[in-house]
Amino acid sequence: MSKQKRIAIIVKAFFWILVLAFFYWVVTNNMFSRIIEDPNKFFTLLTQHITIVIVSSFIAVLTSIPLGILLTRPKFRRGEWLVVNIANLGQTIPSLAVLALAMGVLGIGMKAAIVALYVYSLLPILQNTIAGIDSVDSKTKDAARGMGLTPKQILWRVELPNAAFSIIAGVRTALVINIGTAALAYLIGGGGLGVWIFTGIQLFDNTYLMSGAIPVTLLAILVDLGCRVLQFLLVPKGLRLAREAIKS
Amino acid sequence: MIQFQNVSKIYEGDVQAINNVSFNVDNGEVVILIGPSGCGKTTLLRMVNQLESITDGEIRLHGNNVKELNKIEMRRNIGYVIQSNGLFPNMTIEKNVMIVPDLLGWDRKKQRDRFHYLMELIGLHPDDYRTRYPHELSGGQQQRIGVARALAADPPVMLMDEPFGALDPIIRNRLQEEFLQIQREVKKTILFVSHDIDEAVKMGDKITLLRKGEVMQFDRPTEILNHPKNAFVSEFVGQDRVLKSMSLYSIKDLSQAISLKQKVESNDTKTIKEDTSLRIAISILLNQEADQIIVLDDAGNNLGSLTLDLIEQFLHKEVKRTEIK
Ligand SMILES: Nc1ncnc2c1ncn2[C@@H]1O[C@H](COP(=O)(O)OP(=O)(O)O)[C@@H](O)[C@H]1O
Ligand SMILES: [Mg+2]
Repeated sequence: MSKQKRIAIIVKAFFWILVLAFFYWVVTNNMFSRIIEDPNKFFTLLTQHITIVIVSSFIAVLTSIPLGILLTRPKFRRGEWLVVNIANLGQTIPSLAVLALAMGVLGIGMKAAIVALYVYSLLPILQNTIAGIDSVDSKTKDAARGMGLTPKQILWRVELPNAAFSIIAGVRTALVINIGTAALAYLIGGGGLGVWIFTGIQLFDNTYLMSGAIPVTLLAILVDLGCRVLQFLLVPKGLRLAREAIKS
Repeated sequence: MIQFQNVSKIYEGDVQAINNVSFNVDNGEVVILIGPSGCGKTTLLRMVNQLESITDGEIRLHGNNVKELNKIEMRRNIGYVIQSNGLFPNMTIEKNVMIVPDLLGWDRKKQRDRFHYLMELIGLHPDDYRTRYPHELSGGQQQRIGVARALAADPPVMLMDEPFGALDPIIRNRLQEEFLQIQREVKKTILFVSHDIDEAVKMGDKITLLRKGEVMQFDRPTEILNHPKNAFVSEFVGQDRVLKSMSLYSIKDLSQAISLKQKVESNDTKTIKEDTSLRIAISILLNQEADQIIVLDDAGNNLGSLTLDLIEQFLHKEVKRTEIK
């Protein structure tokens, strides 16, 4: 085992001990009392939270992946710079400001929150789609063309499978960011677990705070894990081998 | 058959890559495209399957102007091999090899059988490789798979751009030998890019030597070696060109041009098969203390004996086209 690996394991173990200690503190101090006392309210907030994340991310996937594919076609190559910069703008503006803007246009409510998060997740997915497709070896694409694959067949059989890892990584980033940012939806009347988190902050009440914050954190970890499983299932085995070959 | 008729190519920015090139690749023949780096070999090759456009002139494939053919369909009927093999990392070896038959809609059974045949042909065990991925294979194995993939749908024509260029000399040599063996069996019409004159001499039925997009000489290897048309050709093929050409003649060629010495009855001389190359024969004669070797045919009959004198006479007759008095 290399020194690096050993250090990584020690750091990880330390991290998980801290997490367990924290949970012990949370449970023994009855920090989840809000969830236990009012499970219906909890599920309503959780459902709102998940809805905001899923809907916004889903539309972002439906926009960014086709857009990324389009921008990597020779015809539209020159548009890449412009579009990526516009999407970049959405990302550079603080999330709170995006929410405020959305509220300004759409009024108070969940719809505004969804639109804001949608704008926010466009860039990571778009960037990763473009990077993934660009990373396909030009010699491989040339061989495909020379053997008589149509542009569509090259896209589906060569470019997308080879870009899958990167695209899913982009979706994962967007989802995890959205789960955290969706907590701000409360501020524009969008609901979600942010309701308890902000109540907790305003009332200095740790039971509200923890009952909101911990589920959000767990959700993020769970989704991250789910995406990694998806990556494992969707990315062709040959590419995994290729990545490992490059790493070692 | 591939015909180049006054073909020119000018890239954007007025780069004249190919200038008025004409020659033919006859059916079942290997023509090697050779020349210094940047002379336009890759460009010319890629104009055949329309990966590059043709600025001027015509390229005809089995008599048809390639510009008028459907690009996709035409490419599926041409085997294409490139130096860095270009295998698809996301597909298994079987999927890689069978990509064109798959596009052509071959059924499962036919694909299986073809995969078996091709793997046997390139000397790899089909079942050992079927489900493996390109990254698990060595460079030489990947290049073999590249050749198998190009042969998959049994195209009559093959375009090969330095297919063995990235391999180390020992592996390259072995793949060249294998390739010649395969070619004897499949008899494809092949345009083959190389930058190595030894490879060209060994593999080509004919050689096209390019310089700055122009054909310097288009001829059989022995002609290129023994009768270079100009100083450029002569320098390109190297000062040892006559020795190189000796590997292209067999003792049989010699015995047909000039006859061997009368049979000698002697026990101490070495024997040699009549299909041995003159290069090896010279080497043996120079190593041997005796000044002659007995030539045998396939059945082992004594045909006569070979001496350095005879080889010199042959050289003058064939190579220098003059008789020794
Ligand atoms: N896409 C291109 N655009 C402009 N010039 C090119 C292009 N491809 C090749 N060339 C030029 O054409 C010439 C021939 O290149 P190439 O056919 O690749 O030579 P070779 O294969 O013999 O090394 C070179 O001068 C090269 O710089
Ligand atoms: Mg080249």
